[in-house]
Amino acid sequence: MGQAAAAAMGMTLLPSAVAAFDFSRAPARIGVIGLGRQGRDILGELAKFEGVEVTAVCDVDAKRLEAGVRRTRAAEGFASHQAMLAKASLFDAVCIATPTHVHRQVAEDAIAAGTHVYCEAPLAHTVEDAAAIALAARGSGKVFQAGLDARSNPVYTLARSFFRSDAVRDLVGVHAQHHRKTSWRFPASDPSREAEMNWRLDPAVSLGLAGEWGTHQFDTVHWFTGRYPKSVRGVGSIRLHDDGREVADTIACQLVYENGAVMMYDATLANSYGGRFETLFGTNAAIKLAETHAWMFKEADAPTQGWEVYANRQQFHNDEGITLIAGATKLANQGKLREGVGLPNPPLYYALGDFLKSVTEGADVACSAEEGYRSTVVGIRAAEAVASGEEVQIAESDLRVG
Amino acid sequence: MILRLAAEAMGTRFELVLSGEGQPLLRSAGEAALEAVREEHRRLSVFEPGSLLSRVNAEAASRAVPVDQDLFDLLTLCRGVWESSGGAFDPAVGALMRRWGHRDQPHASDLGAGGGFESVVLDDRAMTVRFAHPSVALDLGAVAKGYALDRAAEIVRGVGLRAALLHGGTSSIVAIGAPPECDGWRVGLGGHAGPAAAQLVLRDVAVSVSAPSGRVSASGAGHIMDPRTGAPASEADEAVAIGRSGALADAWSTALVVLGRRPDTMPPELGSAVRTGSAWVVSSSMRSTFFRAAARPQSGV
Repeated sequence: MGQAAAAAMGMTLLPSAVAAFDFSRAPARIGVIGLGRQGRDILGELAKFEGVEVTAVCDVDAKRLEAGVRRTRAAEGFASHQAMLAKASLFDAVCIATPTHVHRQVAEDAIAAGTHVYCEAPLAHTVEDAAAIALAARGSGKVFQAGLDARSNPVYTLARSFFRSDAVRDLVGVHAQHHRKTSWRFPASDPSREAEMNWRLDPAVSLGLAGEWGTHQFDTVHWFTGRYPKSVRGVGSIRLHDDGREVADTIACQLVYENGAVMMYDATLANSYGGRFETLFGTNAAIKLAETHAWMFKEADAPTQGWEVYANRQQFHNDEGITLIAGATKLANQGKLREGVGLPNPPLYYALGDFLKSVTEGADVACSAEEGYRSTVVGIRAAEAVASGEEVQIAESDLRVG
Repeated sequence: MILRLAAEAMGTRFELVLSGEGQPLLRSAGEAALEAVREEHRRLSVFEPGSLLSRVNAEAASRAVPVDQDLFDLLTLCRGVWESSGGAFDPAVGALMRRWGHRDQPHASDLGAGGGFESVVLDDRAMTVRFAHPSVALDLGAVAKGYALDRAAEIVRGVGLRAALLHGGTSSIVAIGAPPECDGWRVGLGGHAGPAAAQLVLRDVAVSVSAPSGRVSASGAGHIMDPRTGAPASEADEAVAIGRSGALADAWSTALVVLGRRPDTMPPELGSAVRTGSAWVVSSSMRSTFFRAAARPQSGV
């Protein structure tokens, strides 16, 4: 039996090839509200979709607006979301990438204008606002997708299938981190906008690293395990950016689940080692998820399946990981299995693709407003724990909307 | 104060040297500028299968691919230099780069003729890119670093910083203002295996230095292609172009290495210096900037 054929046979139980998005038969017009870093990333990924045109962009900062318009073909620029939504006939859907604490206003207005909405996560900086967004989305009759992109990630989807099979077995615990050496401070071309641009450093509105970054990674674990934590503890400090800020540049959280499992989460702006990943440890194997890559590390006494003999592997010091490759069946049949290591596009691409499929084809939403609400609540509670230094409970009732 | 920040992108190290008051502003401006560089890497790198340019290369032979204003303007700039240099600078050099081992495996279509910029169709009205020949592949390696530095410099200037030196791999440079109590940023030319052969004093200009020996493939082929012959360039050992735009300086330094001399069609506002052996030919517009090693005391940042 040839190697490729054996690998293909072993891989036949795995999800089909990574979806290629082509909306040329059902074109979509998109508006993007918020042209900071995330908004520009959204523009960059939307540019890759055939049949998708960005027809409107919005930012209150004139320079960002001008730069954003140039990253489109001929989008109309607006200095306020109200002005843009007043011309809702220009677009079929909007992507909201404003500061978190203004999501509610923009999302409610967009829903009221009758447009489909992709809203970045965390949904809001308070439980009340997040609930309001989820309730507005529920009654809209339009697509609402929360920007928790793990749920659209092809390698994460593949890894989740292993997690939910017997390959990983019982969950022991989780370790997740997000390390990136950066100040999280953004320069303002207009000094009067300095504070507005640096909302992440404003303790009055910012959820800090636990909320802004942690929410996404907590959601990955929620999605894999179907569980939400019952309590969270946290600590935070300034380790590098001692520039007068109050929001911690380094945090550590411990999220405890009802079954006794614990997620240890840390995030820092002071060091980049390890980047961003989530590792779920099971009694048979561990799965590591790192945005565009995923691996499974099997215990020596875990049962072996035939396809593993030919699987692509990577060595990490003393640990050997089986590389989880999305679309492995198709790639193996083409003799291109090696080329499939790692996604060719960032996770945001797949999340936006799923959103556009929901808008144009009526496909199921990848991450609903309710799912986004629940993970946002966990992020908010984690932020409270870091800020207070106290253990914060997360009641089941906290996770219900309306 | 002086703050240095660096990041890896486009296969090299980009470094910013920022001069000013207030560490938080310098750091935030530098980080935003480096993020702009990374953004251009993600958009323009042919080594990234998900980049916008990779998508254009994959599809433009089949249909006209719509692109955004920024990319269309960059391709239009490239077309201008291609025309003015008589084809010595050609951004549709991807097939040649593959053939000579500087990119991934050659494609079967790489061996055909007609794969240069003459086969790239830019529709100014529709803002689309189409390839009229299957072997065409855009490769913006000769202009991307300078272009990324232009974006970075725009951010640095935009927040009011008056003195900064930005470079990508030491060969593409944008100088803003001058460091305190200096007439400009002093940069040595060459000097990798000994003292710098010449020195530039830079203030509010962009500079690009190209040399065929800068990078070689496994087979020893230099990385600068002569699109007219289909072989590595060999007319000059080093060339410098200087002007207001990093992208233009990058494109013209490549063209100068290929041509071995300054052509009459090179815009007069751009300075040039071309070296063959140890002999430099320096344009009059560059003489106030370019100093041979013995002419001025050497000091640098």
